[in-house]
Amino acid sequence: MTARTHQGPPAAPLAAIAGIVLCVAGAVSLQITRDRLYAGQSRETARILYVQSGEAVKRLALDFDALWADVYWIRAIQHYGGERLNDVARRNYELLFPLVDLTTTLDPYFSIAYRFGAIFLSEPPPGGPGRPDQAIALLRKGVAAQPGKWQYLHDIAFVYYWHFRDFDTAAMWFQRASELPNAPNWLKPLAASVLGAGSDRASARFLWNQILQSEEEWLRRNAARALSQLDAVDAVDALQAIVNRFPPPAGGQYSWEALVRRRVLRGIPVDPVGTPFELDPATGRVALSRNSSLSPLPQHLQTPPS
Amino acid sequence: MRAISCIALSVFRESVRDRVPYNLVIFAILLIASSFFLGQLTAGQDVKIIKDLGLAATAVFGLFIAIFIGIGLVSKEVERRSIYGLLAKPISRPQLILGKYAGLVLTLAVNVTVMTIALYAVLAYMTWTTAPALQTAWDAPGIDARLLKSVFLIFVELMLITALALFFSTFSTPLLSAALTLGLYIVGHFNADLRNFEKVVESKTAAWLARGLYHLLPDLSAFDVKTQVVHGLEVPAGYLALTAGYGVLYIALLLIVSILIFSRRDFK
Amino acid sequence: MPPAIAIEELTKDYAVGFWRKRPYRALDRLSISIETGEIFGFLGPNGAGKTTTLKLLMQLIFPTSGRAEILGQPVGHVATRQRIGYLAENPYYYDYLTAEELLGYFAQLFGYDAADRRKRIARLLDEVGIGGERRLQLRKFSKGMVQRVGIAQALINDPDVVFLDEPMSGLDPLGRREVRNLILRLRDQGRTVFFSSHILADAESLCSRIAVVAGGRLAAAGRVSDILAFEIRGWELIVTGVTREALALVAPGARRTSEISPGHFTIELATEPPPERVLADLIAAGGSLVSLHPIRDTLEDFFVKRVAAAGSAREMPSARD
Repeated sequence: MTARTHQGPPAAPLAAIAGIVLCVAGAVSLQITRDRLYAGQSRETARILYVQSGEAVKRLALDFDALWADVYWIRAIQHYGGERLNDVARRNYELLFPLVDLTTTLDPYFSIAYRFGAIFLSEPPPGGPGRPDQAIALLRKGVAAQPGKWQYLHDIAFVYYWHFRDFDTAAMWFQRASELPNAPNWLKPLAASVLGAGSDRASARFLWNQILQSEEEWLRRNAARALSQLDAVDAVDALQAIVNRFPPPAGGQYSWEALVRRRVLRGIPVDPVGTPFELDPATGRVALSRNSSLSPLPQHLQTPPS
Repeated sequence: MRAISCIALSVFRESVRDRVPYNLVIFAILLIASSFFLGQLTAGQDVKIIKDLGLAATAVFGLFIAIFIGIGLVSKEVERRSIYGLLAKPISRPQLILGKYAGLVLTLAVNVTVMTIALYAVLAYMTWTTAPALQTAWDAPGIDARLLKSVFLIFVELMLITALALFFSTFSTPLLSAALTLGLYIVGHFNADLRNFEKVVESKTAAWLARGLYHLLPDLSAFDVKTQVVHGLEVPAGYLALTAGYGVLYIALLLIVSILIFSRRDFK
Repeated sequence: MPPAIAIEELTKDYAVGFWRKRPYRALDRLSISIETGEIFGFLGPNGAGKTTTLKLLMQLIFPTSGRAEILGQPVGHVATRQRIGYLAENPYYYDYLTAEELLGYFAQLFGYDAADRRKRIARLLDEVGIGGERRLQLRKFSKGMVQRVGIAQALINDPDVVFLDEPMSGLDPLGRREVRNLILRLRDQGRTVFFSSHILADAESLCSRIAVVAGGRLAAAGRVSDILAFEIRGWELIVTGVTREALALVAPGARRTSEISPGHFTIELATEPPPERVLADLIAAGGSLVSLHPIRDTLEDFFVKRVAAAGSAREMPSARD
């Protein structure tokens, strides 16, 4: 007989294994290259691809509405997050409302989509699109789907309070929210204080502290940031009073170092995120640093230049 | 080579005898009927819808053919035991796999070609019968060569699905193969969303897992440029090349593994 | 000259069972060799390992151990298949093809040009007795007709070695005779024929050598005449001119005694004592010899005995390891 060769099932030849490895490596690297070169769809394509009329998508979704709602939800977050990573000049949140609108059309009980959408739609640029009107529209849709959910009414009130500065309407919505079953008992006094004090920072603090209790990580972060901003503004006022009380000698310039040397301050004052406050050398005006992550402050918190 | 082409032609002949060409007839009728009905719609909409419909139908019919013939390519021969007579001939097992694959690809190529010609014929008719003034409202011209870019990627995607179906066919029953192939087709179209997972989830492990899956599963969403070509948007040649290259390598991988599995099987 | 087919210690285990896989030995160290120009019969009951052996030779399945060669090359050598033909048991071919198309497909795989293919197809279909039906799709064929097509496709390439698994199955007696004659013709053409069967009559009339497998093991192998030579069971003695009492006296161990006509007896004797002695005594008692024949096992008897012996020893191959 000829030489004893193995006659069992053929072992995987080295060439095949090498081929497999090469194919996998090649395919993955082509994929990564393509993703990088043609990074994401152009906005126009994304709009066309992802966003169609809610009713059409609902019909096409067959019985998988909830699943499709999840898909759109992921896309909504991806869109928002992706835009936030861009340079300030290039940010464009125009798909955010259509995407959360689609999500909530497909799944009217998707409460996080309503709340997230409302909060970030109202955010003024560059943090968001600055569309509190869209936020209200979205929340009203939520109320229509679930009239008993006090959170939606609370959020509507908040948008009126914080972004529109329409205290009467805000108080009205807080009141309506407080009348719903399961509503927490702090809503009624809140309505009252909003009606009365209006731009009172204490009420604002109270509201944000409520949101700080939320289970949602990003809501808590937002509330923490807003509270820090309020703290910063309080600090600015306090510092301004000190600066005014200890003006520099005649002809001199305002500076933190001078105040420290004069033992008025213990050190250079920093804001809640650790960025030093600005002190205008000529006018002695204290302000939040432009480089601070808390900047820019919401419209109504910015002190007008005196 | 001779063995491969012989088997390929046999697969093609079987698909013809299995009345696969009937689906072409259905497609043509669908397209022509739609174009007449849509004559009622506002100008500009009907051309877009015909293109959408034509490309989508080419993809869907192709998908059905790829799956329903693909899952049986090997398993049917084994189950009916006609494989015994075939393997006793001077062909190797790898040649058999490649021949089967080539045959189905040939069937799909003929299918896609006929459908594309039919689509262009209908578009030509619409262009011819629509006043030039109305045509300016169209996103893209009626007879648009750029449609071929989408057809090209649809065809590469179909070749990938076929390779998937063949792969499952080498070791699994037809029913299971169909389910798995269809499942991977659907998952593959959501692949792009997997890539964005890391922006949504907190856990690093989940994000890492999602990215791994993104690279492992077939990235089929990238082959879908129907919307772009219908709206006249740019699809760069580089994108076509990279996506097609990815497809070819994935196909090669599936074929190598299929050959490895098939070469080691006992046909009891 | 090397044997046409050489099988050495060929073994095939299957793993059966769902959880704990126990090995089932379908073929246990088979060793036989078949010379060129032989008609070799591979016999055994169903489940003995005949089809397993043939599939191992065609490399449709892979051996657990051992090896086999065809025409000097290991099985699985693709180019060798240009010179062999194979008919599977209960074959199925593509039922949407006609008989001509099927043969044409296989002929293409062998690489013949169109004219050559046409000639071969026509000749073979004539030879296996398929007439006008050759233009019909195989789905319309009876089992016997498919069997004939199977034989035709096994011969399309004028093979040097032909493997036939149960070639007579599905055929009526006329068909079987035709196949038998065809096999003889193949032998006359110098080809080697290896066929498996559980019909012993065919083996007896065709084969120069046989192998008998049962329970996955080789029970016997050799020339038909050699195998039967040792198996003289007894003697048949026909005598006249004796009485029953005389017979009882002379041959008390006789198995069967029957009177054909008065004084004319047929006696079946055991192998011991030697019949010559009994005959001498009967002649001394006044009888005369009509005839004395050895009673041999038929292949059937041999088969049944060997199979029974092999079957009882089939269990637990692992006990030996």
